[in-house]
Amino acid sequence: MKLKKLAATLLAAAMVVSCAACGSGSGDSGNNGGNKDTGKKVESVDLKSQKVTLDMWCIATESDSNRKSYENAIAEMKQEYPDITLNWEAFENQSYKTKIKAAMAADEVPDIFFTWSCAFLGDFVDSGKVYCLDDAYQDYKSELPEVMLANSTYNGKHYGVPLTMNIVGLFCNMDLLKEAGWNEVPTTYDDLIKCCDALKAKGIIPFGCAGGETWCVTEYLEPVIEKSIGADAMNDIFLGRASWDNAEVAKAVDTFQSMVKAGYFDPNAVSLSNDEVKANFMQGKYAFYQNGTWNCADFANDANFFPKVKVTEFPVVDSSKGKLGQLIGGPSDTLAVTAKSANAAVAAKYTFELGKRICHYGYLDGCGLPAWTPYGDTSNINGLTKAVSEICANANAYVLFGDTAMNADDAQKYLDYVAQVYGCKVDGNAFISGLKKEIR
Amino acid sequence: MKNNTYKYLMIAIFLAPALILFIGVLIAPIIMSVFYSFFDMKSISLKGAEFIFLGNYKELFTSGSINVWRALGNAMLLAALSVFLQLPLSLGLALMLGKGIKGERGFLSIYFMPVLISTVVIGQLWRKIYNPDYGILNAVLGLLGIGDKMPLGGWLGNEASALWCVFVPTLWQYVGYHMLLMYAGVRSVSPELREAAKLDGATDGQVDWYVVIPSIKPILKVSVIFAVTGSLKSFDLIYVLTKGGPYHATEVPSTLMISMLFERNRYGMGSTIAVLMISLCFAFAILISAAFKEREYGKKHVIKK
Repeated sequence: MKLKKLAATLLAAAMVVSCAACGSGSGDSGNNGGNKDTGKKVESVDLKSQKVTLDMWCIATESDSNRKSYENAIAEMKQEYPDITLNWEAFENQSYKTKIKAAMAADEVPDIFFTWSCAFLGDFVDSGKVYCLDDAYQDYKSELPEVMLANSTYNGKHYGVPLTMNIVGLFCNMDLLKEAGWNEVPTTYDDLIKCCDALKAKGIIPFGCAGGETWCVTEYLEPVIEKSIGADAMNDIFLGRASWDNAEVAKAVDTFQSMVKAGYFDPNAVSLSNDEVKANFMQGKYAFYQNGTWNCADFANDANFFPKVKVTEFPVVDSSKGKLGQLIGGPSDTLAVTAKSANAAVAAKYTFELGKRICHYGYLDGCGLPAWTPYGDTSNINGLTKAVSEICANANAYVLFGDTAMNADDAQKYLDYVAQVYGCKVDGNAFISGLKKEIR
Repeated sequence: MKNNTYKYLMIAIFLAPALILFIGVLIAPIIMSVFYSFFDMKSISLKGAEFIFLGNYKELFTSGSINVWRALGNAMLLAALSVFLQLPLSLGLALMLGKGIKGERGFLSIYFMPVLISTVVIGQLWRKIYNPDYGILNAVLGLLGIGDKMPLGGWLGNEASALWCVFVPTLWQYVGYHMLLMYAGVRSVSPELREAAKLDGATDGQVDWYVVIPSIKPILKVSVIFAVTGSLKSFDLIYVLTKGGPYHATEVPSTLMISMLFERNRYGMGSTIAVLMISLCFAFAILISAAFKEREYGKKHVIKK
């Protein structure tokens, strides 16, 4: 019960900073979306009386942490609304980003689709491809705080149903740390470096980072930048309020690169996918794995690995600006309805119901913290997710994942430079000057 | 006159389905691509797009961040390797099998098998072969005592090795395809011609060089066109293996186009790259046809003389 309250109240309060910032940034460019402005109250759709077939695309593949929560939620929906048939397909994360954009361009879209909030969804909203959910939202105001919709709100209109919210966590294999003489997770940056040196001396690779998927590199680089320059400065850069031309960013990038050059990262992971690197971490190849907290579910489900793993946040690099409690993340996983859907109003209501359940089961499984007010018995949440809740309860600022916060063109340029930093092709100065020239 | 009208009407009716399909599937998308390439499209629709005429083309060839020259260079290298490595290998196999060796059908099936397997499956297979932790390539090198030869970052993660590692399966996959084309040609060469050459004292090699290969020149032309245009638009295997990385080392025009279209949402620039690819494929197809034609004309001319 304590945890439930913790998650519901503190999260909502803490996230106002990041959510409001991102939502308003994207909102300026939005249009009215696929459906007409609905100033008057429309009648709520009764799902029980509907007999329709809906299609949905998402990224909950068999290897995805969220798979189980989708399956449970869909099974429950089927039981509750037997006349509504949901045909759902899941695609691998990286390829889905291409597929959904191609489908949107060709107008060959399902009724409901998974999307990332902020700029990713914003591009579709700008093109009038997304159905406005304002009418359907009226029935869920008490269960879904409006602040949670900020990342999917454009021009004051809501276009997405948030599922869970996640942050970047530093997962530690305590067995390996103990082998190197560390019984506790290092809490300062200097200790982390000492720990990495000790691990290396024992022949253990400190970090595993999938270079084959650049978003995984950002999960390492962004916390280093945030803990060096502070969350406010980083939000300003990510949301277009400040230039990349920032010497402190260059210094932070050099800090990250010094860790790569010191051999703390598995050099073979440059060409590997995230699934491969995660499997290596779970098999004890790396001592640390820094990635989204949705991984808590997979780690908790592995009976052998779970007792070994702890989660924490990346330590502060420059204490004059970076602080503990400044986190990378926020509510990004979202479901939306396409404007082309023949049953858009039904799909909208269905999406809220489904989203609520996916959020519920995802929270129980440890796939992230709930964007919706938790319900039912949540006392059996796994220890890792509880630890994430504690980290978030002490959070004072959030910076949304860079590739979600920026528009697609800028995000890709940014990812290009991040990949080059990881490969030591450019240093901090080249990183900021390149991004200044390419973005702003 | 009436007969003629009827004849033309029938021709039009019979041609119409194919023509409509051809225009709808091929010509219209090309025209649309050319049209879109004149716009700076920040989103999927033309709404709000800015007409910049040749602006995308200028940016394509001058922008350092797009770096189309590297993508074109990689495609050209692949085309050269296809013509000078893949096709001779295919021809060698076709000539060998064309002689009617024992187990000919079995060999044909084995060589042709990679063409039948889905490219994604082949890509995943080769990803496993190159895997730095458990890949068979490292295991074999280890057995040979040179297990430490893997470049830093792994076979697909190192800029220097990634391009060659991507080219190997790309070339390997279609050896069987070209071999089958050429094999059909080799088998169609009249046995009398071979026998006549043999009676004149020609060796097997001389028969192949002076009789069989000149006879299958039209097929060789088709193979060269397929190999070159296929290289210029190669995509699937490269995308599965490296997605154009690491650091754009294996970028080819099609991966660049996908990146522009669906990762950066630059639909105008993506269309520009599509137009460039179409133009190059047409240009090379015409050039190769012309090269083969000239030789044929030259030969006839010599005979007449």
